[in-house]
Amino acid sequence: MPMDKSFADTVFRNGRIYTSNRKQPWATWAAVRAGRFIAVGEERDVAPLVGERTATVDLGGRMAMPGIVDIHNHIMMGGQADLYELRFASSASVAKIAETLHKAASAAAPGAWIVGGQFGNNLLGEMNTAESCALLDAACLGHPVVLRDDSYHNRWASSAALRLAGVQADTPNPTDGEIGRDLKTGTLTGIMIEAASGLVERALAASGHYTAEMDRAAVARSISVLNTYGVTAFIDAASMQPIMAALKGLDDRGELTAWAVCAMPVVEPGFMFGKAGEELFALREEYRGAHVKPDYVKVFLDGVPGAKTAAFHEPYLADPVRGCCFRGATMLTVPDLIRWLGRCEKLGLAAKIHCAGDAAVTQALDAIDVVRSFNGPTHLVHQIAHASYITPDDIPRFAALGVAADLSPIIWYPTVFLEAHKAAMGDERAQRFWPNRDLKNAGALMAGGSDWPVIPIPDPWQGIEGMVTRQNPTGDFPGKSLWAEQALDLATVIDIYTIDAARAAGLGQTIGSIETGKSADLIVLDQMIFDVAPDRLADTRVEMTFFEGRKVYERA
Amino acid sequence: MDAVDHIPVTVLTGFLGSGKTTVLNHLLRQPEMGGVVAIINEFGEVALDHLLVESSEDRLALLDNGCICCSVREDLIETLDDLAARRAAGTIPPFHRVLVETTGLADPVPVLHTLMTAPDIVGRYRIDGVVATVDAVNGAHTLHAHAEAVRQVAVADRLLVTKTDLVSGDTLARLEARLVAINPVAALSQVSNGIVDPARVLDAGLFDPAARSADVVRWFETAARAAVEPHHHAHDCEGTRCDHPVHHAHDSDVQSFSLVIDEPIHGEAFSRWLDYVAALKGEDLLRFKAIVNVAEQPDAPLVVHGVQHVFHPPISLAGWPSEDRRSRLVFIVRGIPREIIETTLCKFAAVSRTAIQRPAA
Repeated sequence: MPMDKSFADTVFRNGRIYTSNRKQPWATWAAVRAGRFIAVGEERDVAPLVGERTATVDLGGRMAMPGIVDIHNHIMMGGQADLYELRFASSASVAKIAETLHKAASAAAPGAWIVGGQFGNNLLGEMNTAESCALLDAACLGHPVVLRDDSYHNRWASSAALRLAGVQADTPNPTDGEIGRDLKTGTLTGIMIEAASGLVERALAASGHYTAEMDRAAVARSISVLNTYGVTAFIDAASMQPIMAALKGLDDRGELTAWAVCAMPVVEPGFMFGKAGEELFALREEYRGAHVKPDYVKVFLDGVPGAKTAAFHEPYLADPVRGCCFRGATMLTVPDLIRWLGRCEKLGLAAKIHCAGDAAVTQALDAIDVVRSFNGPTHLVHQIAHASYITPDDIPRFAALGVAADLSPIIWYPTVFLEAHKAAMGDERAQRFWPNRDLKNAGALMAGGSDWPVIPIPDPWQGIEGMVTRQNPTGDFPGKSLWAEQALDLATVIDIYTIDAARAAGLGQTIGSIETGKSADLIVLDQMIFDVAPDRLADTRVEMTFFEGRKVYERA
Repeated sequence: MDAVDHIPVTVLTGFLGSGKTTVLNHLLRQPEMGGVVAIINEFGEVALDHLLVESSEDRLALLDNGCICCSVREDLIETLDDLAARRAAGTIPPFHRVLVETTGLADPVPVLHTLMTAPDIVGRYRIDGVVATVDAVNGAHTLHAHAEAVRQVAVADRLLVTKTDLVSGDTLARLEARLVAINPVAALSQVSNGIVDPARVLDAGLFDPAARSADVVRWFETAARAAVEPHHHAHDCEGTRCDHPVHHAHDSDVQSFSLVIDEPIHGEAFSRWLDYVAALKGEDLLRFKAIVNVAEQPDAPLVVHGVQHVFHPPISLAGWPSEDRRSRLVFIVRGIPREIIETTLCKFAAVSRTAIQRPAA
C-alpha cells in the first residue's frame, strides 16, 4: 500500500474552477498537499491522489477561482476601528459626537484613553473654537480622548490628551501642521491639523493603550473581513512597526490567513507615526515570516485631487486661495526619488509610489527610467499607486519600464470622489480618470486594490463589476458611466485581481493562479460569474475561502 | 566656483609600511616647505625635535624651514578651521598650502569627502591633489589583500613607488603595470629612501585656475590616450584577448576607462547626469575626473572631480591647457560597465552616440 504522503490532503471535485492560468484556464478537480496544489485538471488526473485520509470538498458544480489579491489596503485600521474605537458616522454633528462620547466616557476605566472616529472634516472649523472645546471636555469626563476625522489626517483631542502630549498654549506649530487655537481667545481647541496629529498620536502610542495583543486582534479581524470577500493576499500600503509585529505575531502562531506583503514608508506618513525609512528597513528581517513579506517601501509623491494636493501638469480651476495657476506639487524631487529608488534596489526592496496626479506619475516614471538606465533590469516590480490620472504619453512607459499600475481605490465609476475632482479641475479633465483599457492595450501590468479604509468596505466584487461596466454598482449615479471606453472584459479583470496582482506584489511564483506548485488559495462562489449579466457581478458572494488548502471562511 | 583664493590641500596617503612616514620626514626638512602646514598623525613618528624653532603647545610646532607642523585633532574639519582662524588672527605665520597625512590603514575617501563638502572647508581650502605611496616590496601583496590600499591608489593623482632599490626590475615593472591598470592617469614616480622632490608631492595643480602646469596637460593627454589606445599600458593580459578597453586589476574588481567626447556638452544636462551617477553608482565610482567642453562656455572648460558619491563643485578654467578641446572623462570604477556610462550620457546628458570616441576594436 502506498504511503500516505503520496496522497492529497484535500481534493476539490466537481467544480467549475477558473484557474487564472492561461495554459489551462478551466479545471473540475484540484488536489492539495501541504498547502500547495499538487494536481489540477479533470477527475482522471486527480482522483488517483485520493487516499483514505484525503478530505474531499464537493464543489457541487459551483464556480471556484484563485484567492483574490488586494494590492493596496491599510490592514490595521479596519480591525482597530471595529474592535477598539468609538464609532460615529461622519455625518454626526458636534453635539451628537459629544453625546456619544459622554456615554463611552461614563463606562470607561479611570484614566483610560478613548479613541474614536471618524468625524467629517467639514466640522473642523466648528470644532476649532473655545465653545466646542468646552463641549468636548465636558463630555469626556477627564479622559484623554482623541477623535480622528474621515481623512485620517486631522484629530480632535481633549484637554487631558493635550496635557499628556505636552501641548500647551504656547507650543509652536510643528512643520506641516497646526495646533488649533480659538481665534478670539487664543486658547487651545484640541484641533490638531496634519503633522500636529502626531503629537497626540505619539502620546497615545506611548501610553500603551494598544497592546501587541490588541494589535494582533485588530489585524486578525481585518483579515477575517478580507477572507469573507475571497481575499487571501494583500499589500499593506503603509507598514509601521506595530503592523508588521502584529502580522508576524499572527504568522508565528499559525493564525495568519492571508499572504501579507508590507510596504514600509520611506518617511513617516501624515497619518501614521513611528520609525520610517532606513531605521524601519533595518528591522524588516525581524518581521519576515512564512507569509509576511516586508519587501516593499512606500513613497508618497503627492496628495489627492479633491483637496488639490495632487500634482498635475495642467492647473486646477482657479480659486481665491491658490489663484489661477496652481498645479499642486510633488513631495520629492526627481533626484531625491532616484536616490530612494537606488537605495531600495540595493536593499532588494521594490517601491509603491503614491501618485494621484498625472505630473506625479510622470515624475515617478522619469525617476524609474533613470534608475533602470543605470541599474539595468531587475526582478523588482515598482508600482505606481492610484494610477488614475495619466497623461497619454506616459501610458506606454508602464510596460516599457516594467512598472505596475496599482488600481486603487475602487472608484473607476461615478462616485462622490469624482464629484470632488470635477469641482477641483472641471468636468472634462476629471472624467479622464482610470484609463484602464489604454493601460491594458499598452501591455501594463495592472493590479486591483481597495485602499480600505478609504473605501469603507474592502469588497473587490464592486471593483470587478465597476471595471467591466464603468458604472456604479451600488445604484448611486444610475445610468451614468465614467469614460465607458475604458471598460475591460471580465477575464482580464479577474487576472488583474489574481495573477497579475500576485506578480505586482512579487509573489507571482507562489500565488495568483490555481496550478501545481502554487499555494492552495481557492475561493468558491455562489454564481458562475462568466454567465451573469455584468451588472450582477457585484452581487457575487463568496461561499468558502481556502488559504493554503485550509478553510478560513465559510458563509453562514 | 573660483579657486584662486583657496588654500591648496595635498592629501598624502599610503598603506602601513609603504614609506609614507619616510617621505614625510624627508619633506619636512626641505626648504620648499616654508609656508606649508603639515597636518600629521603623530609627532612621535617624525623626528622633529632638532628641527623645532618653537613649540607653543603640544599640537603645533614651527620648524626652522618655516613649515608649521600640526598634529591632527579628532576631526579634520576642526583642525582646518582652527588653522584658518589662527592664520587670520596672526598667531601663526601665514601659510599658503596644507599637506594632510592620512593614517596608514585609512580609506582616504572620507578625508576627501570632508575637503569637498564641509561647508566651512570648501570656502577656504581646495584639494590640490592626492599622493599615494606604494612600496615596491610589499605593494603587490597589499593591493591583493586590502581594499583600502586599492582605493588609495584609485583616488591618487600621483603615485610614489618607494623602496625601489630593494626589488628587481621585473618585480618593479609588474607592480607598476598593476598600478597603471588600477589608475591609468596618475603620474608615477620612483622614490628611494624617501628622497622626493617636494614639487613631485605638492602642487599637482589640478584645480589651478590657470591650468597650465605640465601635470595637468600630461594628465589630460593620458586620459585621451587611454580612451582610444587599448594597448598603451604594458599590463599583463594573462590570456588570449588583450583588446578590450577596460583595464582589469588582477586581484581586484577595480577597472578604469576613459571617454573622449568630440562635441560640446550642455552644462545643465551634464550636471543632471552627474547627479544621477552620484545617486545610483557613487558607491562603485572610486574616482572620476573630467575636463568638459561646455556648450555655454567654450573657452572656459569645466573641471570635475568626484570621489564615490561626492563631487567637488565644478571649476571653470580660465582657458584650455592645450589645443585639444575635446571633453575627456576618466572613470576608476568597481564593476560599472562602460556601456552604461555611454548609454546614460546619451540619454540624460544629451550627448550624441557618434561623438563618443571609442578605442579601435
